[in-house]
Amino acid sequence: MLRLSFTQKSGLLILALLLAYALGAPLLQSGDATTQNLSQILTAPNADYWMGTDHFGRNMWLRLAEALQLSLMMAALCVLTSALIGVTAGVLAATRAPWFDRLMDGVVTMILALPGLVLVLIFAAIVPGSFWMLYVAISLIQWIEYFRISRAITQRLTQSPAVQSSQLMGFGEWYIFRRHYWPAIAPQLFTIAAFGAANAILMMASLGFVYVGIQPPLAELGLMIVEHFSYYSDAPWLLAQPLIALALVVLACQLMGRGKSL
Amino acid sequence: MSLIHIENLSIYAGMIELLAPISLTVEKGERLTILGQTGSGKSLLAQAIMGNLPRSLHSQGQVSLFGRMVDNAERQAFWGTQISMLPQEPWNSLDPLMGAKQQLEQTYRMVAGESPAEARQQAAYTLALQGLQDSGHKRVDQLSGGMAQRVAIACAMAGGAQVLLADEPTKGLDVSRRDQVVQQLLSQSEQGALITITHDVAVARQIGGRMMVIKSGELVEQGQANDILTAPKHPFTQALIEADPKNWNEAEGDTRHGEALISAQDLTIGRGDTALSKHLNFTLHQGEVVGVVGDSGCGKSTLGDTLLGVHNAMGGQVKRHSKAPRHQWQKLYQDPTAAVSPAVSLRTLLNDMVALHKIDRSRIAPLMQQLGLAEDLLERNSEGVSGGELQRFCMLRALLLNPVFLFADEPTSRLDPITQREVSQLLVDVAKQNGCAVMLVSHDPDLIEKRCDRVIRLSA
Repeated sequence: MLRLSFTQKSGLLILALLLAYALGAPLLQSGDATTQNLSQILTAPNADYWMGTDHFGRNMWLRLAEALQLSLMMAALCVLTSALIGVTAGVLAATRAPWFDRLMDGVVTMILALPGLVLVLIFAAIVPGSFWMLYVAISLIQWIEYFRISRAITQRLTQSPAVQSSQLMGFGEWYIFRRHYWPAIAPQLFTIAAFGAANAILMMASLGFVYVGIQPPLAELGLMIVEHFSYYSDAPWLLAQPLIALALVVLACQLMGRGKSL
Repeated sequence: MSLIHIENLSIYAGMIELLAPISLTVEKGERLTILGQTGSGKSLLAQAIMGNLPRSLHSQGQVSLFGRMVDNAERQAFWGTQISMLPQEPWNSLDPLMGAKQQLEQTYRMVAGESPAEARQQAAYTLALQGLQDSGHKRVDQLSGGMAQRVAIACAMAGGAQVLLADEPTKGLDVSRRDQVVQQLLSQSEQGALITITHDVAVARQIGGRMMVIKSGELVEQGQANDILTAPKHPFTQALIEADPKNWNEAEGDTRHGEALISAQDLTIGRGDTALSKHLNFTLHQGEVVGVVGDSGCGKSTLGDTLLGVHNAMGGQVKRHSKAPRHQWQKLYQDPTAAVSPAVSLRTLLNDMVALHKIDRSRIAPLMQQLGLAEDLLERNSEGVSGGELQRFCMLRALLLNPVFLFADEPTSRLDPITQREVSQLLVDVAKQNGCAVMLVSHDPDLIEKRCDRVIRLSA
């Protein structure tokens, strides 16, 4: 259905490799991501520890995989939830009574008036360290983009002869959504979803970086960056690992979001 | 130096030949008319000359413009200032967010390179010339089909291009406007060259010059327009000229109608705050074919929307005397390309409808044959078929629903005279057999006269 450009394909490839690593890493090395080994701290990558150990002697190969799992899961959940809510609300706002449209518009304006990260910070502060709270907060911000795009597209289409013709032929609203609104909205969603995923991952990492996100000892990219920060001269590879992983995930999402150049 | 020289230009979709190799030369000051059937590849020829064929198609052969061989990329540099095209769908060629005058003004500024003040003056002058001085602020969706057509013509001419390609320039225009547009095209051709693509024999006659007749992608006859039109040699050309609505048989004298179906009482119709037509009183009966005529922009399409209940009346009442369900009150759209979803194949759309209303499948094939639709057409989506074919597909869907009332908004404006005659006859037959009231909108007085029992005249 989707025909991807070369740029999008390379993004997809990077993402697939990261996903394979995140899911496959525990199969290749035994142990877990939280076991400490204080006699083996800050070791450089070697035959036992393929990516070295951190300041508590924890296996970085496993820790990084776990952090990636967490980030990718967050991204996937946020994209799915916000797309579902956003598209539904957008189509309803465009097709229902005007008061509903105005109500939704008001809600959206209110949310937009706050900087996104601040809103997430407030939520994160209510229940610190909760993955689900972060998920709710990020989705709460991200559905707006889907809402605005689907509302704009649907509004244009509700007046079109094509929709009028389907209505005159007796087709129901679900059919009109399926044949008219969705085909027009869907191509736009992929781009928003790709950028949304990158943003969700960055937001979670930012919160981890300021210690209000996921709490230790769980592995999380932002948290790992700040934890490893103090060892940058002794073990630069340690700080580099979460940074590179984060950069790669975001790069993969951004590449996928690039549309075809005409 | 010839302005356009084409040698053995042919067009293919994959391996299928859509247009057989064709050669032509247009000199300065010359007029060339390409006359042909619906779906015969006329528009493709124009697109191939411009260099904007859809990407699924490819052309072979040589095109030289202004004495130079040019490829597609080089031709883009000529667009607007040297060679300009008047595309078929004015709705799609205008900016949906900008007022008519603003668009025209921008064309004068950006393409013709005039100063802001000059451009404003030129735009106002041109709009007044087209009779659109009061509609300059309107966006495309607020303009009627004919008005949008005139704005598109003005924009296409604003760049001062030497060569103008006009693809069905008079489609959907009433006779007085049509003559005006033809005059405009003619005056344009004095400065350069004019290529007109049309299925309207009357337009071909007015424009004159040289003429080529195309039938299913092949050139069947060429020469001076006058010679061909007075003494056509090829049987297809003869049939085409004979099928002009002027020469049709009158509708049969069967004026017995059934019961009253829908009536308008002191009805005032309008768009936005503007009333378009006031104090309409009429009653439509079963089996009656009623023509609606009036100048472009007088609310013909709005009348249909009001009767069908999709648009609110500004005053007065519409009364339905029949309890037929909503899906039996149907409409045929002026612009079928905008009325059919391009997301899925035509077959899927047809199946959707057949399933919803449990229509007998055995009715489809004979009706398609009557409408002259090929079976394999259904495999494509609405963007892959010609406007005329899509118009007939819409008709197929509407007729399968056994309508009691059918509002046909220029249902045959995209069809060549031969197909037009058959399809309009089919509409009349359906009305008489099934007791369906047909409201036929057309800009063509001959068509209305030959096909309708009576006429409602709208005036602004």
